[in-house]
Amino acid sequence: MAPATALNAVALHQPDGVLPVAELPGLDQLGEAERETCAQLGIDEVHADDSLSAFELAAQAAQRALAEAGLAADDMGALILIDSRAPETLMSSAVTRLQALLGAQRAVTFSVGGLGCVSLTPALLAARGLLAADPDLEHVLVAHGSKPPTPQRYRHPVTVSGDGGAAAVISRSGPVRILDIVQETNGDYWDLFHVDYRDRPTDRWREECGDLPAYSFKLAVETRNRLRALYQRLLDRNRLGPQDIDCHLSHNLSLGAFRFTEESLGIKISTTCFDNLRQYGHLGPNDVLLNLCTELERGGLEDGQRAVLLSSSPAAAWSLLLVEIGDGAAPHYL
Amino acid sequence: MPTAPATTTVEDVLAFLAAALGTEVGPDDDYFATGLADSLFALELVTFVEHRFQLTVEAEDLALDNFRTAAHIMAFAQARGGAAAS
Repeated sequence: MAPATALNAVALHQPDGVLPVAELPGLDQLGEAERETCAQLGIDEVHADDSLSAFELAAQAAQRALAEAGLAADDMGALILIDSRAPETLMSSAVTRLQALLGAQRAVTFSVGGLGCVSLTPALLAARGLLAADPDLEHVLVAHGSKPPTPQRYRHPVTVSGDGGAAAVISRSGPVRILDIVQETNGDYWDLFHVDYRDRPTDRWREECGDLPAYSFKLAVETRNRLRALYQRLLDRNRLGPQDIDCHLSHNLSLGAFRFTEESLGIKISTTCFDNLRQYGHLGPNDVLLNLCTELERGGLEDGQRAVLLSSSPAAAWSLLLVEIGDGAAPHYL
Repeated sequence: MPTAPATTTVEDVLAFLAAALGTEVGPDDDYFATGLADSLFALELVTFVEHRFQLTVEAEDLALDNFRTAAHIMAFAQARGGAAAS
């Protein structure tokens, strides 16, 4: 049995600025087929603010998460920053910058990443490990600022990225218990999507897919197979059946991606995800935290109910989180 | 070596492809090369092949060459000894 780990508090920071997808930068440089794909993603607009960096988005969310938890930065036993897509400077340390900004002087501090929108999972795995290994450590702060690496926010044929920060305080108890985490990766796809940046100005950076047929076919079918196997393993090792899962929350890429996941697993993705996709686009590792918060705010999950949070990345990585609402005191009639 | 079932012909595969892609294709047309295929189509295609030929497409089968044309699909199914769908 995994040691007790819970989301003590989750906070988000969305910039006020709204950018309609029809006004995305670089849209006029796309071919007709690409523009049509972009228009059919199910994204109406994204929140964006070019004056806010990924670091600042993460920092704003981190401060809100601490306030939400009623804790001081000095209460954090660890601070984990999920790396941004493109660091502001090379050599420097964004995570110790965040440590200094927050005043989390006692915190064991490091960053994780490398898995695209699945990168929340290694952060949670690390947090769970720290809480299990060190009885003196009570709280771990995880933060990420999501901002696309290129001026063009459209990644053909996948999604449109918005700006947003998210942070979570992970503790041994809290209103959302993390019951289990599963993750797999396949390094064959490590550079399927990439941005060449050396020796070219920023306005010529592009998110490029090196092998579109591989993405559309091989990785798609592998994703189906991986998600099916991971989902079954998650249920089996928690002695649960599909009927015991009350809500499925996905990362937000496109309507097609939701349908793909629904058909792959025989599940229904919560309408919350569709709504957030429409107004925020894709926010990388923050998507599932955003969707969970919205679902809870809407009253879609009650004490004792369980949700599965699904993420996948063309890196390629897949992960599922099993969470239960409440402190575990609610009775179950299994 | 077992052969693809007599009840599943290349015409059956072409009929599926026409419905899924929204346009007619020939037995040797590479719909991946022409950009007609997306990940949802890939899912439908593999599900069709698995159901129609009663086989499971494993990770080692996922070479695009096995699926890029109707003729290739028939050859793949024959090689895997796919059975007739009822």
